[in-house]
Amino acid sequence: MSRVNGSGSQDPHVEVSRVRLRFGSREVFRDLSCDFPRGAISIVMGGSGAGKSTLLRLIGGLLRPDAGEITVGGDRTSGTSPAEVLRARRRLGMLFQNGALLDSMSIFENVALPLREHTENGEAEIAERVSARLASVGLEGVEALLPRELSGGMLRRAALARAIVMDPEIVLCDEPFSGLDPPNVARIEELLRDLNRSRGLTLIVSSHHIASSLRLADQLVLLQGGASICGDPGELSESHDPRITEFLGADARAHVALRAAAEAKA
Amino acid sequence: MKALVARLGRACIGFVSGLGAITRFAGAIGVVVLTRPWRFRSLSRQLYDAGALSFVLISASGMTVGMVLALQGYNTLTRFGAESSLGAVVGLSLIRELGPVLTALLVTGRAGSAKAAEIGAMVTTEQLDGLRMMSIDPVDYVATPRALAIFFAMPLLTAFFILFGILGGYLVGVNFLGLDSGTYLASLETSVDFRDDIVAAFLKAGIFGMLVGLISTYRGTTCTPTTEGVSAATTSTVVTASVCILVSDYVITALWGV
Ligand SMILES: Nc1ncnc2c1ncn2[C@@H]1O[C@H](COP(=O)(O)OP(=O)(O)OP(=O)(O)O)[C@@H](O)[C@H]1O
Ligand SMILES: [Mg+2]
Repeated sequence: MSRVNGSGSQDPHVEVSRVRLRFGSREVFRDLSCDFPRGAISIVMGGSGAGKSTLLRLIGGLLRPDAGEITVGGDRTSGTSPAEVLRARRRLGMLFQNGALLDSMSIFENVALPLREHTENGEAEIAERVSARLASVGLEGVEALLPRELSGGMLRRAALARAIVMDPEIVLCDEPFSGLDPPNVARIEELLRDLNRSRGLTLIVSSHHIASSLRLADQLVLLQGGASICGDPGELSESHDPRITEFLGADARAHVALRAAAEAKA
Repeated sequence: MKALVARLGRACIGFVSGLGAITRFAGAIGVVVLTRPWRFRSLSRQLYDAGALSFVLISASGMTVGMVLALQGYNTLTRFGAESSLGAVVGLSLIRELGPVLTALLVTGRAGSAKAAEIGAMVTTEQLDGLRMMSIDPVDYVATPRALAIFFAMPLLTAFFILFGILGGYLVGVNFLGLDSGTYLASLETSVDFRDDIVAAFLKAGIFGMLVGLISTYRGTTCTPTTEGVSAATTSTVVTASVCILVSDYVITALWGV
């Protein structure tokens, strides 16, 4: 990993070290290392095909790297021990780009599924917890609907409710803003920030939505050429490294300044 | 020449490793079947889908096959003056051979391909990865109920196929060709043996059910996550399962003489 000004994070929740991954002849990661601090919002950025989704899938243990190690709260998801991967996954929730809800089941059943599978909760408890989670993402009265009957923004929020229903420590979000209109982007942004603040969740979000990333992130991870550049938004937007400025664009500093002003007011 | 050998080698390695993978998959299903929780609700839904909804297709096909058998059989038998054995000819060919094999081929086309496409579509929309991330094993949650449903449905559907086939043979033989109804039934009754014929039919049906259930769910879960991947998984399910049915039919007949 190359950090913009050297400071390593003290308490990494997810650690990716020296990961190499190739699909056939295409090398996605050459030597990727980055830490995701506990309780922070990290945003993984990069152009299309830079490997954002692939990185999240590696962290979740859905893909195995060719070399290197990935640990989630101390358990390796890059290893071959299924028990270790399962332990790591109990800490993880994942929001997929298109929701990945089971399309033959209602929204209620989708969100209730992990509870039914992994807890001994009774019907009443499950119903209560599911509606609480749906309410916390601003969805009410959609329990009986099927996933295809929801709009894109609502679907994303229902999937978020499913991702957090087991109270994970870490939530991986793949492109939570893509394909949404500005009000919905703002809404998801607000939800993620709220989850992070109120529950202390570690968020690892992939996005190529530069403005919202600069507003939201505690740490930015820029994927480029199979490696990563990490730093907080302030550092990165001040940088003169052409790889960074080219990607973040000219408005980066303005976004960071706006955020600082808003935070000062609050 | 070298390229040809290399290609042959690669095909062989691919075939053997595929065989290994599907065996592991079968093992995983075996473990799921033996351990709790047993997903009876999901199984009964799949059983309805693969079994009950195939009923009309199977019974109509059985009926037509029985009718054709009676016509063909009658034309041949009259040459030897043996039309009184029509019941035996229709019944035995249905029970020993055509019932299990044709039912298996029809179930492959209807339920096997549908299950492969359904699971394949779940793969492309990341639904299976979604399950994995919730620590739910897709083999347990998705594949096993579907494979088991096909396994259980097969003998039942085979029985209906045979039943409707015999009925179709009766209709043509008795009502159309003017055979005596008692003669048809008596020749059927005396020639069919319970152990050698009926049990053997169910044995075949069980093995075919296992093959179709395994192949379709395996091809679905290992589908490449693209639209083409889904269509390839569906096609390969139908082709592989059909060939396996025909080959194993020969092997079973040769080994056990049924
Ligand atoms: N299963 C796979 N097989 C082969 N190549 C793959 C596979 N998954 C990803 N890739 C390749 O890896 C690269 C990174 O893909 P990835 O989906 O992670 O990109 P991304 O940064 O998420 O892009 P986007 O913004 O378009 O979602 C791409 O070039 C893609 O072609
Ligand atoms: Mg992506």
